[in-house]
Amino acid sequence: MLSSMAAAGSVKAALQVAEVLEAIVSCCVGPEGRQVLCTKPTGEVLLSRNGGRLLEALHLEHPIARMIVDCVSSHLKKTGDGAKTFIIFLCHLLRGLHAITDREKDPLMCENIQTQGRHWKNCSRWKFISQALLTFQTQILDGIMDQYLSRHFLSIFSSAKERTLCRSSLELLLEAYFCGRVGRNNHKFISQLMCDYFFKCMTCKSGIGVFELVDDHFVELNVGVTGLPVSDSRIIAGLVLQKDFSVYRPADGDMRMVIVTETIQPLFSTSGSEFILNSEAQFQTSQFWIMEKTKAIMKHLHSQNVKLLISSVKQPDLVIYYAGVNGISVVECLSSEEVSLIRRIIGLSPFVPPQAFSQCEIPNTALVKFCKPLILRSKRYVHLGLISTCAFIPHSIVLCGPVQGLIEQHEDALHGALKMLRQLFKDLDLNYMTQTNDQNGTSSLFIYKNSGESYQAPDPGNGSIQRPYQDTVVENKDALEKTQTYLKVHSNLVIPDVELETYIPYSTPTLTPTDTFQTVETLTCLSLERNRLTDYYEPLLKNNSTAYSTRGNRIEISYENLQVTNITRKGSMLPVSCKLPNMGTSQSYLSSSMPAGCVLPVGGNFEILLHYYLLNYAKKCHQSEETMVSMIIANALLGIPKVLYKSKTGKYSFPHTYIRAVHALQTNQPLVSSQTGLESVMGKYQLLTSVLQCLTKILTIDMVITVKRHPQKVHNQDSEDEL
Amino acid sequence: MSRLEAKKPSLCKSEPLTTERVRTTLSVLKRIVTSCYGPSGRLKQLHNGFGGYVCTTSQSSALLSHLLVTHPILKILTTSIQNHVSSFSDCGLFTAILCCNLIENVQRLGLTPTTVIRLNKHLLSLCISYLKSETCGCRIPVDFSSTHILLCLVRSILTSKPACMLTRKETEHVSALILRAFLLTIPENAEGHIILGKSLIVPLKGQRVIDSTVLPGILIEMSEVQLMRLLPIKKSTALKVALFCTTLSGDISDTGEGTVVVSYGVSLENAVLDQLLNLGRQLISDHVDLVLCQKVIHPSLKQFLNMHRIIAIDRIGVTLMEPLTKMTGTQPIGSLGSICPNSYGSVKDVCTAKFGSKHFFHLIPNEATICSLLLCNRNDTAWDELKLTCQTALHVLQLTLKEPWALLGGGCTETHLAAYIRHKTHNDPESILKDDECTQTELQLIAEAFCSALESVVGSLEHDGGDILTDMKYGHLWSVQADSPCVANWPDLLSQCGCGLYNSQEELNWSFLRSTRHPFVPQSCLPHEAVGSASNLILDCLTAKLSGLQVAIETANLILDLSYVIEDKN
Repeated sequence: MLSSMAAAGSVKAALQVAEVLEAIVSCCVGPEGRQVLCTKPTGEVLLSRNGGRLLEALHLEHPIARMIVDCVSSHLKKTGDGAKTFIIFLCHLLRGLHAITDREKDPLMCENIQTQGRHWKNCSRWKFISQALLTFQTQILDGIMDQYLSRHFLSIFSSAKERTLCRSSLELLLEAYFCGRVGRNNHKFISQLMCDYFFKCMTCKSGIGVFELVDDHFVELNVGVTGLPVSDSRIIAGLVLQKDFSVYRPADGDMRMVIVTETIQPLFSTSGSEFILNSEAQFQTSQFWIMEKTKAIMKHLHSQNVKLLISSVKQPDLVIYYAGVNGISVVECLSSEEVSLIRRIIGLSPFVPPQAFSQCEIPNTALVKFCKPLILRSKRYVHLGLISTCAFIPHSIVLCGPVQGLIEQHEDALHGALKMLRQLFKDLDLNYMTQTNDQNGTSSLFIYKNSGESYQAPDPGNGSIQRPYQDTVVENKDALEKTQTYLKVHSNLVIPDVELETYIPYSTPTLTPTDTFQTVETLTCLSLERNRLTDYYEPLLKNNSTAYSTRGNRIEISYENLQVTNITRKGSMLPVSCKLPNMGTSQSYLSSSMPAGCVLPVGGNFEILLHYYLLNYAKKCHQSEETMVSMIIANALLGIPKVLYKSKTGKYSFPHTYIRAVHALQTNQPLVSSQTGLESVMGKYQLLTSVLQCLTKILTIDMVITVKRHPQKVHNQDSEDEL
Repeated sequence: MSRLEAKKPSLCKSEPLTTERVRTTLSVLKRIVTSCYGPSGRLKQLHNGFGGYVCTTSQSSALLSHLLVTHPILKILTTSIQNHVSSFSDCGLFTAILCCNLIENVQRLGLTPTTVIRLNKHLLSLCISYLKSETCGCRIPVDFSSTHILLCLVRSILTSKPACMLTRKETEHVSALILRAFLLTIPENAEGHIILGKSLIVPLKGQRVIDSTVLPGILIEMSEVQLMRLLPIKKSTALKVALFCTTLSGDISDTGEGTVVVSYGVSLENAVLDQLLNLGRQLISDHVDLVLCQKVIHPSLKQFLNMHRIIAIDRIGVTLMEPLTKMTGTQPIGSLGSICPNSYGSVKDVCTAKFGSKHFFHLIPNEATICSLLLCNRNDTAWDELKLTCQTALHVLQLTLKEPWALLGGGCTETHLAAYIRHKTHNDPESILKDDECTQTELQLIAEAFCSALESVVGSLEHDGGDILTDMKYGHLWSVQADSPCVANWPDLLSQCGCGLYNSQEELNWSFLRSTRHPFVPQSCLPHEAVGSASNLILDCLTAKLSGLQVAIETANLILDLSYVIEDKN
């Protein structure tokens, strides 16, 4: 009853799929992108420029396409950005791979790669390439990011030490983000709204927790109002609940609120129990008791200055009536999300009606600044002025628009921006912890754990390290002549960029302090400091320990100050074992760090930079597959700025921009961007790794088997049942 | 049991606006809305092919809610207009026509969407800042100390809905009623912010329009038999009212999730009835005169209350609960036990009334912010249209109270605005372009498309083949009847401009609206005496028109920006 169909899973097939997706996606990428209208099966219409939404709305049938869409969705879930770039980049990568296999069509490839290509063809070449890609992603990419790219990074913070957020930088970042997400007549307004919201909600101490809270409860924190122009959208202090008061009693002064999750009125029987009525009088007295009890509870609440009752369930008429009599406003039937949001903001646990009565104070009440009805376009909402106990200052966004579809788009974009910021600031909290732990000397383990997770642990503690580090430089200089090291000085940098490499048999500790200063327009400088020191403890190494310690005297001096990361080399830790020519010697693994808040100017800067350095790297490479993978990735990266500059002409066209950028890099001049706006390096980096992972996934497939279930089978079963 | 089914792939179409199908459907929609516009607009009869209700209308809200639109682009357009109408009630057709015209005009130009959208936005902000500025020559202040302007506003709304089928005399009558109903909802001694009351519209179909009336208080409809049974109350002081929101029928309310076991011979009905009668006794001892219940009152309780000369009325329904609470000052009672004495309210008096064939129980309030507008019209469809119109007018009056300005109607605002934009883009393009990458030529093109879109809205006011002119001083609209001799003696042919502010006796230059003119500065700052002397002005609501303008342009921008349509076929 089953029929299968198999098709070779090839790069060609994947490329065809990716090209179709690229055609759709590239129309709405970048500042010149346009809108796409999606209809839902329910007949609703949705406007979108969100790549993830579009791809999901397409309901693709092709298995490879579905896999790509899955990869994009999981990437988006994490980062909230980059779906369209994902597709474009993937498509260019596939194109590059496809070109390599087409020997005739590729005059650019050098001789040995061609022979290598033939070799791959014979022995499961795709798997090999995918392994090379994985090796690149896990072992080479980070090094290039760290050694070369990092000197171009700017920071969103006005001072790296205190991590105070610079408003103008955030504005630039958000504007660039919304440029690609909402209609072009609204992006300025929406990015301003987001920026305002951000600064209104966060206190200076706010950490990552606030992002989590806003991200989790974003749906509850905004209200959509149709029929008004977009420009009527605004931020309201306090929380707006999409409910009306069941009973509203204006009150002022000392106001308290309680949250209940069950009906206040006692019921005859709870679940699992049985209530036996023996006489009419018994029924009446129990009714009377229920009434009196409810009355007493409400009176008690009143005596404790409770003016607002928030309930997640529907309360009986009796409760509403006595609430009204006692001057308590009631909001009923709140969703569990709304209740949990309120609880997270004010840190209040639900009120449980006491069994026995006492005149003591009710523990679970919270002060409220105000509670009043809010009328938005003749619909009533509950407006609460909660007093926050966490770092989040409650504010709600009122999103207006002529149609629901547009409001949803804006909501979606705001949520995405929040996710993007959350990623950008991700290591804020961790930094702080490592800084304190640094002195205790236990940081190495902790940091290693982080770098294992995200492969990118930001370097904290620049302030504490700065002074000792300069000392080491001086010491190093003295020691330079003794050990065979070389010193490279970059003239364009404020502080010399020192690269130290000591060659010791069987071990390669590398110390590379880098200090970069750059200024672009209004942006304040980022002092980005890199301290890298890596040791390898190997059983073999122990023999050399004496030589090591005598030779590396100066290194030991800096041990106390510098952040030390130990990576114990184990075979199991390496995802792919590479065929390095010097298999006998140990490999050098670097643990690097990138501080939170790294940004680059928009307009393909990241791509061009990475392209440039990858090409340089490829020239230095000895292994052909490494060179090839680097070349493919480097060339594919250019695909993104090409799309971005598609509509530009003359001086601002892509070739001009590219040549300018390369020239600037070669002559060590600062890059000049024609566009204002910033983008998160973190986001770009994550995108790159996600795409490479997706590509490896595609390449490892060698056959697609389509299983088709015949519709007759169901029919047969039915008819059998009938018989 | 849920069923899993494979999703069908979606349909993806690029550049949707360029397809013939979209163009034709858009032009069909445009034809429908254009032909409805204005006092001489044509009516549309909407009915389902399977029978049932027939709707005759020329209003956007009724029209669009009955139209079934399938194409997603049209859906965007219609929902955005419906959303506008549901928040401002007025200017729906204006918005629809402007939006359609703008899309059509801009498409003809073939400029890139980026340029178009950017410039449209600039022109829109130019319009809005002009309409809100002090120098605006097409808006007048609304004086709440006299009824003159307010009546003009209401009358303009009534005359623009021909499907109400009102004669001139009836229009005057209904306008006055609407204004009275609105004024009754304003509290007398209001300090700080005002909370407006409510006007309830009570249907009386099949009566003459002239029989419509406004009464303070609430009318509760009843059958004649029921009304006869009610005993007249003779009391000089105010009547005490108890309003129940809970049922008084003797149902046993929620008993919880567990089980309740009732022993043989125990009658819960009797127990509950006892409870109800106890409640009745409490009401009697509290000297309540009138018991109103949202739900059902048990017949025994009803009779018991009647015996003690208490009027009991049940099945009030949830819609009347809020006005009743507001009018009587009660707190809806949700308890069958003890009643808090401060939850009673009061009314001044009650009486019975008969209008047409219907009988009503009339609650007369002490202090009126609630009133009932008894609305009559000859047949169902005309009544429905009249009701919608009355609601629109009441809403417009509320909006005007918030923003006490009115725009000149009859198309004069549009032509004036178009003249202003033309002049501005022609003489001062630098201030609009500022830092943009657009060229002056592009601006001229878009401005021309924008202005002609505004002017074609006005053009659709004329349905009888007449011509439309504009003067070169005020930029107002003048219409001339069809087949009038085409002579240069305009002052004799034209009597008044569209809004009725100016007459042709002034020395003015006219030109056809469709012809090309030199850009001129329309006279700004209306003279006060001109407004006072004009007896019969046509006015529009400022708030609604401003929003309509914004929504139309935002929606047009949205539609012009579309590059793909993905239709989910599941």
